Amino acid sequence: MTLAIIGGGPAGYAAAVSAAQQGRNVLLIDKGKLGGTCLNEGCIPTKSLLESANVLDKIKHADSFGIELPAGAISVDWSKMQSRKQQVVSQLVQGVQYLMKKNQIQVVKGTASFLSERKLLIEGENGKEIREADQVLIASGSEPIELPFAPFDGEWILDSKDALSLSEIPSSLVIVGGGVIGCEYAGLFARLGSQVTIIETADRLIPAEDEDIARLFQEKLEEDGVEVHTSSRLGRVDQTAKTAIWKSGQREFKTKADYVLVAIGRKPRLDGLQLEQAGVDFSPKGIPVNGHMQTNVPHIYACGDAIGGIQLAHAAFHEGIIAASHASGRDVKINEKHVPRCIYTSPEIACIGMTERQARSIYGDVKIGEFSFSANGKALIKQQAEGKVKIMAEPEFGEIVGVSMIGPDVTELIGQAAAIMNGEMTADMAEHFIAAHPTLSETLHEALLSTIGLAVHA
Amino acid sequence: MAVKVVMPKLGMAMKQGEVSIWNKKVGDPVEKGESIASIQSEKIEMEIEAPEKGTLIDIKVKEGEEVPPGTAICYIGDANESVQEEAGAPVAEDNMPQAVQPVKQENKPAASKKDRMKISPVARKIAEKAGLDLKQLKGTGPGGRIVKDDVTKALAEQKKDQAKPVSEQKAQEIPVTGMRKVIAARMQESLANSAQLTITMKADITKLATLQKQLSPTAEERYGTKLTITHFVSRAAVLALQAHPVLNSFYQNERIITHPHVHLGMAVALENGLVVPVIRHAEKLSLIELAQSISENAKKAREGRAGSEELQGSTFSITNLGAFGVEHFTPILNPPETGILGIGASYDTPVYQGEEIVRSTILPLSLTFDHRACDGAPAAAFLKAMKTYLEEPAALIL
Repeated sequence: MTLAIIGGGPAGYAAAVSAAQQGRNVLLIDKGKLGGTCLNEGCIPTKSLLESANVLDKIKHADSFGIELPAGAISVDWSKMQSRKQQVVSQLVQGVQYLMKKNQIQVVKGTASFLSERKLLIEGENGKEIREADQVLIASGSEPIELPFAPFDGEWILDSKDALSLSEIPSSLVIVGGGVIGCEYAGLFARLGSQVTIIETADRLIPAEDEDIARLFQEKLEEDGVEVHTSSRLGRVDQTAKTAIWKSGQREFKTKADYVLVAIGRKPRLDGLQLEQAGVDFSPKGIPVNGHMQTNVPHIYACGDAIGGIQLAHAAFHEGIIAASHASGRDVKINEKHVPRCIYTSPEIACIGMTERQARSIYGDVKIGEFSFSANGKALIKQQAEGKVKIMAEPEFGEIVGVSMIGPDVTELIGQAAAIMNGEMTADMAEHFIAAHPTLSETLHEALLSTIGLAVHA
Repeated sequence: MAVKVVMPKLGMAMKQGEVSIWNKKVGDPVEKGESIASIQSEKIEMEIEAPEKGTLIDIKVKEGEEVPPGTAICYIGDANESVQEEAGAPVAEDNMPQAVQPVKQENKPAASKKDRMKISPVARKIAEKAGLDLKQLKGTGPGGRIVKDDVTKALAEQKKDQAKPVSEQKAQEIPVTGMRKVIAARMQESLANSAQLTITMKADITKLATLQKQLSPTAEERYGTKLTITHFVSRAAVLALQAHPVLNSFYQNERIITHPHVHLGMAVALENGLVVPVIRHAEKLSLIELAQSISENAKKAREGRAGSEELQGSTFSITNLGAFGVEHFTPILNPPETGILGIGASYDTPVYQGEEIVRSTILPLSLTFDHRACDGAPAAAFLKAMKTYLEEPAALIL
């Protein structure tokens, strides 16, 4: 029984490994490099560059830690940052290749399309071939959404992938879209010295998360020199004058910039798959699947960004493994109740479960526990005492239904929140729990205690 | 030093007491005098109050478990204190007769790993609040852990089941414990060990009804108690019993013990059973005093405040199903008593008086008596006496 997987990103390669471990004969088809967007153009390279910016930040504040640097001692070498990023990416890609080899997964480079329910046409460098499979998993991923009046050209109008490998740090950059991707890039380039302008249609940045968190973040971003224009919309672009023309209310503004980065979201990458030939239902929003990740054609599965929805690598891992396991005869179902949402800005933002707004709309009078990093020893030591931890607890039983955090290393802290929520622990259990001191984790503990009115240091 | 809280002895004959509900859990702080648990025995339900302020540090008797009086049910002490178990059997209270020395309780080891239930804290809380039996739940979480979804699904099922027509519903099993168990045993014992039968009679209470309507507002104003038909009937019963003591008797050990006094048991329905508070020496009470006692006792019983002494020792009982529209019925004797009177629902009906038809109010009476103690004729004579009192009610007021 062969399982053919289209796409070698997080969903696809995790599914491949899982299926192989369950004794399946696996064929993995990918048109580019293994690891997909996450590894090659997304999570890993961006965070690698962001880490360079973090180091720069730290060095800039070295004197406040008692370390004197001679004037002019700091210089930024963008190409070295790039090569470091590339090293990290390469090592991880090799890691995935090793996993494929170790699990005896047959990897074919090329573009796959359906000829029928069980027949795939693969067009690669060495010509075309037709492969048959008993089951197929579509994990074709997603791609940036274009603005119709300002299509990506790779020269001036960039998508997130282009912006990662610019030949130099731009002196000015307009970012269209103040969501997760837009904000991460804004923070990166602003801290590396670019004049960054964000144009966002909503009335605030990161509209999917809670307002208090977004506002705190926006203040910090503006401190870093980013110009933020919310309730604003890009109207058109003047290619020759390298000028973005945007509107806020009735007024029109012009911003000249070296580049325009369009980060208004990503869409499932379904073109060219010829899903019709296999009778698989789909829409521009993605391929609908059931809890086992099956499409309307039961032996054809889909997962990851291709099905729309969460669009996070760690959700894709989970979905891939569920799809592979179900396809291999195990009765498993997806559980995406507690998927962490991390934003690698400065400070970082990490959330899980419901936002305060969602929790209030469902439970009414939720118990909110907050704790500020300014009262946390470790945060002060790190000189990163901005931000807070906020916990939403259901009022009757004290179930933790949501955690939102902004502050130092919260993308690591969110793992504790995920464990607490996945274990369905209740707020009162925090009383019998000891957080190490001095750590950033203490903020989570104190916020938990504060939902039941027992915080010590607040 | 932790303070031991024991199962109290409610009445001399009490052999077992059941902890029906824990109002506190281990680790909870308690104030002196605060209710920590409800216990049940015989027909009594009672609150246990904390003897000291402190923390509930250990619970020895689970909900629904029965233990002899004097057994430690929990300990109150400092939050960080551990319980020093006393060796041997729990010490009986001083006034406990030797015959009912409590049986030594086994010191059970902490729940073994097998017994431990895999359940998430949220799931447990929701299930406990809804009163779901955790053992009936099937866990779908990792390693069979019961998670919130399992509980919410079970609750939804339960709801669906309840909404189904009766024929499709699953049978419900309710363990017989506490008061229900006592009632079951007593009633079965009564029917199995006596020769009881019921005779009925109708009393024309037209005059009494008028009198009651006249007197009740005044009684309420002057004594704070309304006068009901039941009060008059009770008074009539007391008078009739004094004239016919054979029904104010116990049949015990092949002897008939007639009582000079009338301790009147008045059945009171509770949400989960019934109790029979006793009015002692009802023969010494005027109509109004009797009415006051009946009202006060019923109130106490409904609020669960009736002490064990107040629920014992009746010589004759009265039960009233009139409020439900029942006319005649067959009350079951409350052993060792030999008589019980059932009051039915009064109704208006045309009645011949000579050649004339008049509107009359009729009260159905049902008397169950033990044929071992008394034959049909004297029982009928008692009922006749009652009828006479009720139909010529002026005498009841005196």
